[in-house]
Formats: sequence, C-alpha cells, structure tokens
Amino acid sequence: MNQKLGEFEEIVLLFVAAQHEAAYGLSVTKAIEDELGRSVTMSSVHTALYRLEEKGFVESKLGDAEGNRRGRRKRIFVITAQGKTALHEARDARMRVWDMIPDFVMKFV
Amino acid sequence: MQEQWHDIDPPKRAEQFFEWYCNDWLVETIGGDLYERYIDNYSKYGRKKANRKYWFDVIRFINRHTLKRSKNSKFNNMSIFNNYVKVGFRNLVRNRAFTVINTLGLSVSMAVCLIIILLINDQLSYDKFQLNRDSIYRFTHSRAEGINLGMATIPHPLGAEAQKRFAGMTEVVNFHRLGGEVESNGKALDIFGLYASPNLFELFSYKLKSGDPKTALVEPYSIVLKAEIAEKFFKDEDPIGKEMKIGNRGTYKITGVLEKLPGKTHIRFDAFASESSTAALTEKGLDMWGLNNWQNGSQTWTYFKLQEGYGPEQLQVVLDEIAAEFYNEDSDMNPTFDIQAMSNITPGPLYGNQIGDGMPNFFVIGLSILAGLIMVCAAFNYTNLSAARAVTRTKEVGVRKVMGAKRGQLTFQFIIESILLSLFSLVLAVVFLRFLKPAFEGLQISSMLNWQLELTTTSYVQFVGFAIVLGIVTGLFPSLYLSSFNAINAMKGALSKKKLSGWALRKTLIVVQFMISIVLITSSVLVYKQIQYIVDKDYGYTKENIINIDLQGQDYATLKTELETLPFIENITASNIIPNTGVSNFTEAWRETKDESVDLNYLSVDENYLDILELDLVAGENFKKDAESLNRKSVLINEKALEAFGFQTPLDALGETLYIEEGDTLVANVIGVLKDFNYQFIFVGIEPLLIKFEPESYQYAQLKISGFDLTEEMVAIDKIWDEFDPKHELKAQTFQGQQDEFNKFFYDILYIVGLIAVLSISIAGMGLLGISAFAIQARMKEVSIRKVLGANVKSIIFMLSRSFIIMLSIALILGFSIAYLGNKVWLDMFAYRTNFGFDIFFFTALGLIGVAVATIGWQAIRATSTNPASTLRDD
Repeated sequence: MNQKLGEFEEIVLLFVAAQHEAAYGLSVTKAIEDELGRSVTMSSVHTALYRLEEKGFVESKLGDAEGNRRGRRKRIFVITAQGKTALHEARDARMRVWDMIPDFVMKFV
Repeated sequence: MQEQWHDIDPPKRAEQFFEWYCNDWLVETIGGDLYERYIDNYSKYGRKKANRKYWFDVIRFINRHTLKRSKNSKFNNMSIFNNYVKVGFRNLVRNRAFTVINTLGLSVSMAVCLIIILLINDQLSYDKFQLNRDSIYRFTHSRAEGINLGMATIPHPLGAEAQKRFAGMTEVVNFHRLGGEVESNGKALDIFGLYASPNLFELFSYKLKSGDPKTALVEPYSIVLKAEIAEKFFKDEDPIGKEMKIGNRGTYKITGVLEKLPGKTHIRFDAFASESSTAALTEKGLDMWGLNNWQNGSQTWTYFKLQEGYGPEQLQVVLDEIAAEFYNEDSDMNPTFDIQAMSNITPGPLYGNQIGDGMPNFFVIGLSILAGLIMVCAAFNYTNLSAARAVTRTKEVGVRKVMGAKRGQLTFQFIIESILLSLFSLVLAVVFLRFLKPAFEGLQISSMLNWQLELTTTSYVQFVGFAIVLGIVTGLFPSLYLSSFNAINAMKGALSKKKLSGWALRKTLIVVQFMISIVLITSSVLVYKQIQYIVDKDYGYTKENIINIDLQGQDYATLKTELETLPFIENITASNIIPNTGVSNFTEAWRETKDESVDLNYLSVDENYLDILELDLVAGENFKKDAESLNRKSVLINEKALEAFGFQTPLDALGETLYIEEGDTLVANVIGVLKDFNYQFIFVGIEPLLIKFEPESYQYAQLKISGFDLTEEMVAIDKIWDEFDPKHELKAQTFQGQQDEFNKFFYDILYIVGLIAVLSISIAGMGLLGISAFAIQARMKEVSIRKVLGANVKSIIFMLSRSFIIMLSIALILGFSIAYLGNKVWLDMFAYRTNFGFDIFFFTALGLIGVAVATIGWQAIRATSTNPASTLRDD
C-alpha cells in the first residue's frame, strides 16, 4: 500500500493512463520520446512497467498483434485504481510545492 | 503500408541471443516491441544503424525481469551454497580422524607438488625477455658413432655456409668460449666470457647501459661486460675505455656495459668479446681451436633468426645437403645437423656442450612423476575414506532428496566439501613449503642448475587453482557415488552394506597405494646401497691422510720445496687428475708405428705417486728419483693395457717401446706394469691406463700427511700458499672429500627419492589406518556376536585382517616386480654396482608388514576387547 512512485515511473504511469487500453512498452517509449523530447531506452520503460505491475499500479494482459510484429502480441498495460490514487497523490504533492512558491518569484520569468 | 516490412530480418545472432536469455512469458511481447522498433529505425536510418540499435536494445534488455531462471533453483542460490559450505565444514570438524588423515596426507604431498610447480615456473621463465624469442633458432649436431647425444655446438663454418644457401636465415651470431683469469686488486678472478659476432644485439635483446650496440663488438679486442661483472671489477668507476687482460687471450678494451638482465637466459656469460679478436689471436699464433675447421664440432654455438615465411623444415633440407657435401664415411666426424628453436632449449631435451646450465626435460618429468605419485596416494586416501564413510551420510542424502534436491546439486555439494578440504590442506601445504623449499634449494643440483624458486602472486594463484582442481578430482568419485542413492532406501537405511563399501574399487586403490610405496622404498634403499658401495669399495689405492691442492697454474716444483718445510708432511707427489672424480684424459699408442692403435687413459705423475697412493707393481720398477730426462722417456702401464697391447706376461712388456700420440709422437719404454686399480668414473670399469712422467701437465699437488687433526694442517698449508701465491685462494681438500663432492649428486637423488618414499609410506599407512578402522567398525556387531558365541580373540583378529593381508601380498608382489625392472635400467649403467639382493626385498616387506600389522592389529584388538554388551545393546 505504501508503495512509492518514482519520478520516471510517474511519467510512465501518466502515459499508460493517457493511452488508455492501448499502452504497451514501445508505445510508451515513443510517447516519452515524442511528447517530452527525452531519449529513453525501451528496456528502461519495460522495466518501469514491470515494476509498476509489481507495485500494483498497473495491470497487464496480452493484446493484439497489430503492427510490424510478425504476429507477436503486445502486452497491454492498464492503470489500476491504486495507480490512479498514486498519480493523484503525486500531483497533489507537486501542487503543494507549487503553492509554496511566492507569487513574485514566478512573475518575472 | 506498414505490412510490407515483414520480410526484413533483424540481425539473426541478436535475435537468437535474445530468445536464449529471455524468459518464456516475456519473449513474445518484448520480441514484438523490439521488431517494431527495428522496422521504425530501419525506415528512418537504414539497415546498418537499425542493426546496431537492435543489438544495443537486446543487450539493454538483460535484467532481472527478463532473464531465464533455472527451473530447479526457486530458492536463493547463494544461501544454499553457504549451507553446503557450512555442512561441509561441520562434517570435517565432526570426523576429526578422517580430516586429520586427509589434510596431513594431502598437504604433505601438495607441498611437494608446489615445489614442482615453482620449479616448472622457474624453467619456463628462461629467455622470456628476448623479443625475438619465437624466431631465434640454433644449430645442433649429433654423430652416429660414440655416444648418441646431441651437441649444442657445431663446426664453425656451418653458420656462414647455411646462410649463403638459405635466404630465410638472418642475423647469424656465433659464440665461442673465452675463459681466463683477470687480475683485479692483486687477486686473480676467473671470467667466463663468450666471443660473439658484431650483430649480437640485433638478434638478442641485451640492452646496453653504456656503449653503442652497433659498434661495441666490431673492433678486435673489444669487450662488453655484464652489469654485475663491471661492478665487481670497477666498483663505481666508469669502465668504458678501460682495459682488461684475460689470461693468455690478450688485453681487451671495454666498449660497453650491459644493463642488468631482466630475467634468466640459457646462455651463461660474464662478458661478450668481439669475434674479430679470434682472427687477431690466430695471427699471433694462438691456437683458436680449429675455427674454420669443418672437423671440429665442439667449439662454436650458432644462433640465428628465421625470417617470416620460412620454416625450419626448409632449412633442414639445406643442412642435409651441406652434411652430405662436406663429410663422408672417412671424415673424422660424420655429423647430422639439426635445428633447435630457442623456446625448446630450457626447458628442453638433454644436450652435450651446452652454452649454459639448464635442466634437461627428463629431470623435470622425473620429479613431476615422483610428486604425482604421492599426490595419487593422498588422493586415494580421500576417495577411499569418503566412499567408506558414505554410510554416515545416507540419511542426509535421503532428506535432501526428499526436500527436492537434484542429483547434480548433491554432487556439487560433496565436491564443495572436497574442495574445502583441499583448500584447507593448501594452507598447511604452504606452511610445509616454507620448510621444504630451503631444503630443496640446499641440494647440490639446485645450485648447479641455478634454480630460483620464487613465491610470486602468480604462483599463489596457481596453487589455489591446483588445490581446486585437486579437490574436484578427488571428490568426483565419492560425490557421484553419494548422490546416486535412492531417496527412500537411503532414508530407511536399506542400502546394502555391500554396495556401500564399494569394496572392489577400494581394494584396488589400497593395492596401488602400497605398490607405489614399495617401489619407492625399494628404489631408495637401492640408491643408498649403491652409494655405500661406491664409497666403501676398495679401488685398489689408498685415500687415507692425503690432501689434494689445486695448483691453479702455479709451478709444482717451487710449491713442493715450500711445502717440504712443514713437519707433518711425509711425502708429496703431483698428478694431472684426481681418480674417480669424473675426469679422464685420453690418448692413443702403438707398439710399432704401423700397428693398430690402442685407446688409453693416461695419468701424468711424478716418482712419488705410487708410494703415496700405495699402488703395487706387478713387474718392473717405478720412475727414478732425480732423473727427469730418463723418466720422460719411460711409462708405466696397467694390466688391462698389457692385455690391450697383446703382451703375454708382464715381463714381456718391460723394455718394450711404445709410440704415444702427443702432438708429436712420444717414444717411450715400458718400465713397469701396475696392478689394476680403478681410477675412473664409477659408471665405467677399469680400462687400459698409461702413466707418464710429465711435469708440465700437473694440476694437483697431493700431500701425504701424518697428523689427524686436519684443521691445524690446513691452516699451516694455507699460510704457505698465501706467501707462495697471494693472487689465488688456496683450493685444498682431502682426497675423500673431493670424491664425496663428486658423488654428492647421488646423495641428492637419494634425499629426494627417500623423502618421497617416506612420505608415501606414511600416507599409505594413514590411509590403511582409516580404512581398517572403518571396516572393523562396520563389523562390530558381527565381532560381538562371534565373541558371545565363544570365538577366541586370535581367530577374530585373523578374520578381520585376512582381506588386508591378501591385498598387501598382491601389492608386495606387484611392487617388487616393478621395482626390480625399473631399477635395473639405471643400475645396469654402472660398471660397479650393488646387487638387488634378497635383503632389500626382505627388509622392505618386513617394514611394510610391520606398518600394516600395527595399524590393522591395533584396530582389530580394539574391536575384540570391547564388551559385546555395549555394541549389542541397541538391538
């Protein structure tokens, strides 16, 4: 229950939620590369997904084999209720820190 | 549009590798992702980059999620390993007797093996610093007649002739000996030099501390010194440009000093002198031992480099041509030339006329065999005792199997135990090594062959490796055997006693162990007997109260008058060699000039020789006092020579003329015939001997003294010598001492073989103790029942020891046969040899039976003296 959500895991989990019912290792990797402009290796995303699964934040099931996969199926990851709570908590924590920032600090960027 | 990409393959190896390591439940999804990514990259960057990225991804995917788990290790590997070690250790502690017997045996024999490892390391370290070591070769030759031993030297012109005919041969370097005395601070010191070709430094990697390698050996009378020698003669001064007079070989200018050699080399030298000096010396009329002479094959060593692309086989063809062209049946020598790679010199086969001292291969092999033998004995103990102890482990094996242990795991467990024991023994062995090493280095052969046994980190790594391998080998049989039990039977204790004891194999091992001990003991007793025989043998002359002084080139007559002032000296004589020290001089002689010649050994002595050595004349008379010119025309011969010349009786020979080869022919009359006495190397019997009166070839003064307190006499002689020749140290020894020194080599062999024999018998004895204790333990109930039913002690002891007695008898018969056949080979080389004799066999057998009876009997008596009630109580 008290599982911590790591920084990178949080990003991965966000994309899993965003690509609802269609998130698998490569799609998340591509999304991180395209949307955030961060370069990540596929294996680190996979690892993060397995770890999220171990922590109970996502569930996986075998999906379709669409795409250039030579008929090999995808492992589709779906966020769990627990995962949603964890994301909320992470966002709340962030927002609390945002709130601590005095107004003038951010005004003159 | 994406569908058409299906026929593009990612790197096959990467794919296979991925499928090999990735576990089954992830291989499909990750594989799919990988392929999708590959096709993306392929369309974006092309094949090459996509392939690289694919490889990279495959490798990055190796982690704890993806890796296959071995099916039978659901638990943590490390903790089960720890458990094995722990259980193994507890077992060793619990079975103390077993552990002590094994560690003692293993560590002692290991220590001997470690010495051999160090020795082999030392031998392999030769010439490692030579950069050209893999392309340097030398010529050797062998002759059909005489001793069939290869010679490291060749006729001098061969090198140049072969180079002319064979393009692949470059950097030909010739060496010749340059020996002599060099004076330094009023003392004369021997120098051991080599004349070398000017291109020496091109072929060999000797670095010069000072001097120019290109020109250092060009001018006649130039010399390059070894660093140690330069230090010895010149201390801190710069030796370059200084001069050095070497014996009668002229005065040399020092043109270079070598850096300290970075390692050992098979070439022994103190200094290199320019080869051009030899030509200059020949011009001066000095005999340079037949340089440029095809008939003299014992003065020149020739080394060269084979260019890449040329093999020694091609050169061999050229050598055979040369041999056929320059020699025929009638030549003084008719040699076969061979090529030897430098990497095969030390360690390498035995050669005559070596350029330095390296240990011949057979010696290393012989020592390794000895070490291997006792290692085998110790390993057998372990195998035997563990197999016998199996009974105590059956429950454990059963439980482990029930808990799901696979056979492979159990084998592994028991092998770990034996490795543990062997590593433990290694620690002890290294302690033993500390004592063994100095003893070994103290042997005469050790200093003769310049052994350097160094304990380096590498050698320790080798030791540990050796111990682990040994552990695996010794533990393999018991562990395979223990792990083979059926779980249920093992738990029930229903394994038949017969199967457990593995009798056939164990009996064989015990027989082999004792056989080895018997062979070793018999051999060392025989070596001892042979040495005693040599030492005690009556050689037909006396050695009592005689001191030999090495003249070291000084005038005998002068020394004699000086020494005669000493009151304790009864008589003085001179000679060119000391009998029975391995040195002989040959000559030939004829009765009539045209006759067949007779080969003879000769001695050069003066008129007191016969008196001092107490040699008897059969006929005729001795040399006369103060009649040098007459004596020079007279010779004595021994009875063997009498026969060889074909004289019927000693009296026939008297007054006859002999023509003796000696530069010019010496014509001399036989004035006396000596009773045969043995003067030669003990391998050889008595051969024809000629005794000449020839003051210029005297090498030793031999003094007959009256006193017994040697030290006092030696001090007095030393004092006279110091005044007489301040340059040289006195070199004097008793007659017996000088011969003992020569025989020391045999004592060395005795020590080695004897030590190994003692070790092997103790190891075998310990093994027997363990195994008999165990066997008797297993029959305790039987013994008790027999006792209850009224069997007497004697019959029980006989019953318990019967099988051992049979085994020992077999070992004795086999051992003696092998010992007899093996030892006959070397013993037959001696002309004077002791015989095997019944006594050797008798005492060896007696000793062995003693050991066996003591160990088995002790156990048997213990068994019979226990109260039957205490063993039968449980049932």
